[in-house]
Amino acid sequence: MRAKLEVLNRQELDDIYQTAIDILEKIGTNIEDDEIIKLLKDNGCRVGENKIVYIPENVIEKCLKTTPRGKINIAGRDNSKDMVVDGNQKYPYIISHVLMNYYDELNNNYRTITKEDMKRFITISDYLDTISGVWMCTLMPDFKKMYSFYEYELAIRNTTKPVCISSFEPDSIPPAYELAEAIVGGKEELMKRPLTVAFCEISPLTWNKYGCDMLKATAKWGIQPVITVETPMGDTGPATFAGNIAQKIAELLSGLVIVQLLQEGLPVFFVVPLETFDMRTAQICLASRTDYVYGCAVGQIEEYLNIPFFSPVSPDSKLLDMQEAYELGFSLLPRILSGNKGIVIHGLDQTHAINNELLIMMDEMILSGRRMIDGIDVNKETLAFDALKDVAGKMDGDRRNGHFLNHKHTLKWFTKEWVPRRDAVIDKYRREKWIEAGSKSFLQRANEKVEEILASHKPEPLPKDIEGKIEEIYKKYNIPKV
Amino acid sequence: MPDYIKPIYNAVLNFDIDLVKKLVSEAIDKGIDPIEIMNEGLSKAIVEIGDKFGREEIFLVELMVAADACKAGVEIVKKNILDSEIKAEKPKGVIVIGTVEGDIHNIGKDILKTLLETSGFEIHDIGVDQPADNFIKKAVSIDAKLIGSSALLTTTSPNQKEIEKKLQEAGMKGKIKTIIGGAATNSEWAKEIGADFYASTATEGVKIIKNYFKGE
Ligand code: B12
Repeated sequence: MRAKLEVLNRQELDDIYQTAIDILEKIGTNIEDDEIIKLLKDNGCRVGENKIVYIPENVIEKCLKTTPRGKINIAGRDNSKDMVVDGNQKYPYIISHVLMNYYDELNNNYRTITKEDMKRFITISDYLDTISGVWMCTLMPDFKKMYSFYEYELAIRNTTKPVCISSFEPDSIPPAYELAEAIVGGKEELMKRPLTVAFCEISPLTWNKYGCDMLKATAKWGIQPVITVETPMGDTGPATFAGNIAQKIAELLSGLVIVQLLQEGLPVFFVVPLETFDMRTAQICLASRTDYVYGCAVGQIEEYLNIPFFSPVSPDSKLLDMQEAYELGFSLLPRILSGNKGIVIHGLDQTHAINNELLIMMDEMILSGRRMIDGIDVNKETLAFDALKDVAGKMDGDRRNGHFLNHKHTLKWFTKEWVPRRDAVIDKYRREKWIEAGSKSFLQRANEKVEEILASHKPEPLPKDIEGKIEEIYKKYNIPKV
Repeated sequence: MPDYIKPIYNAVLNFDIDLVKKLVSEAIDKGIDPIEIMNEGLSKAIVEIGDKFGREEIFLVELMVAADACKAGVEIVKKNILDSEIKAEKPKGVIVIGTVEGDIHNIGKDILKTLLETSGFEIHDIGVDQPADNFIKKAVSIDAKLIGSSALLTTTSPNQKEIEKKLQEAGMKGKIKTIIGGAATNSEWAKEIGADFYASTATEGVKIIKNYFKGE
């Protein structure tokens, strides 16, 4: 049986969902865009005072119907590596997020991210099988305007895996769109393998002008929108799980409704962290105890809605230390086990920094997580009665002296059950041997691995015609080279 | 502190808004001097609450609820005294705060606002996504001595520099001081752009601001 965490029963899920519907119908959504207000009104929503729009259940249902299900495709250069969320996924997709700072623990250096840092981080993500793609949102100051375009270009240069971007600049959408079109090979193809762009709603229940502009820009261009909702517990969302999740669902659905009314049939998915407002430090924390609980529920919620919820894992630790490992592990594992479809890894320091060695640790953790999902197979062969009979039958006089080490049952099964790695970075030597090898910490060994990958792995270069297209885009949109 | 004030002070310290309202009304009915209720009970309590939060002895939600309790008490007091009587201690300082242009993050700014209000400052919050000019116009129009700006995005922190520039242009640099904060800022950035003060947390900000106005 495969492992599956569940913390909500059907009735509880129904109650949460019904509350979300009530929220949209009775509390309403604040919308700072007259065009969108009119669109909602024309489609059966009630518009109250102060730009509050009340969305009735029938409108939500209608929009849920026009939302394609099982059709999320997150594309990159190599279509065989696309992340396809179609209900047949065996494991969650793991996405490494590129952020604003790079933390080099071995050299005790915390810096604003550079293009070189991004290149290296993405190259490693390109190499590791457990990483499915990258997400870009650095807002690196050198990029000045057009961040999203620069970030997208930089990412696709360094990986053939899928690339998503976060944006709040509608102006950077057209050039990014043209580049995506060139990469997948035309408009038609881009409908099937769209550009994916995330942007935020503002809690509680508000679509401000930035969000509305992004809703319109993505709908206009047929870009796959990713609606992001943050409702830190006790801050812009209730301090209780049930209410907090209901509010999230209401806000996500408000976005989905607008997307469907703007562009019927556009696939859409959600990015939904669970944050806690830490009342002691006045900081918003992602990987806290509450997040671990939410991690247990997230897979169930997305299954219930039948819309993917990608969810971030974002440790607060400032170092690659015990706190970091604890927060990463506790945040990641419940998500994996609850059936979360996509997990976005934000290195460390409250979504502010990334690190290459961390990817090596993630790689190890993800492999273990996947193995846990696979669970335990019970059948005649795995029950191993015959193998045991065989081993136990080996006698040295009156004493049993058999073992499984040289048994073909072990030969056949130990790799399947254990999933060992020949190139493991995690240390399993005996102490003397470990000392002989230099008494290295995990970080040091991971760093060696990082350097090894960077020395040997060269991401597939961009084809000539795409290079040409990029030049054209720079000229056409008057984008300065950075 | 007189015995008849103490329960009011304690009710604020216990974040009990209903009890504060009840006790303040009762005290006024009993003829206790409203000004005394305000200055001895409510104000002292809220200062203590602010300090407790600074020392991490209470949680922010407790501070916020206590601040509301205190405000509710003050409302009742104000209904029972003549305007002329509200010589209501001059505010410790007048400050304009806001989040810079292009940036809609308001949580940090709002916390700073509450903490400053509970410390007796008069705060004019111009909101989020505010161009540099608006900070300066507001400050000039109300004769504020300090502008506090918040920036959470690396792309919007340059707008704090814009505030410095505009102050310079208006000939107000130095006359109106500036303090910056928010996740995209640090002390080096403050130095680089010529901001007068920087604080990494709202509590720290309140300390710096108190100090500055003490010297004023
Ligand atoms: C909550 C949040 C949001 C919410 C904001 C809700 C709201 N009402 O404010 C939402 C979801 C709307 C949002 C939107 C966006 N966000 Co945002 N957000 C955050 C998050 C998680 C927490 C910020 C926060 O409120 N912290 C809590 C407060 C209390 O902390 P604080 O602001 O630092 O304030 C403290 C001190 O700094 C100080 N302080 C603050 N201001 C001031 C001012 C003065 C004068 C003083 C003295 C002190 C002071 O006092 C406070 C208490 O101590 C951060 C990541 C993080 N973990 O920090 C990202 C983060 C800031 N966001 C980020 C981004 C990119 C965005 C978006 C652009 C995403 C998008 N694609 O749309 C949009 C912004 C759109 C826009 N135009 O502004 C990035 C910024 C990256 C960068 N390179 O700069 C961050 C770092 C996340 C990330 N790594 O991607 N966000």
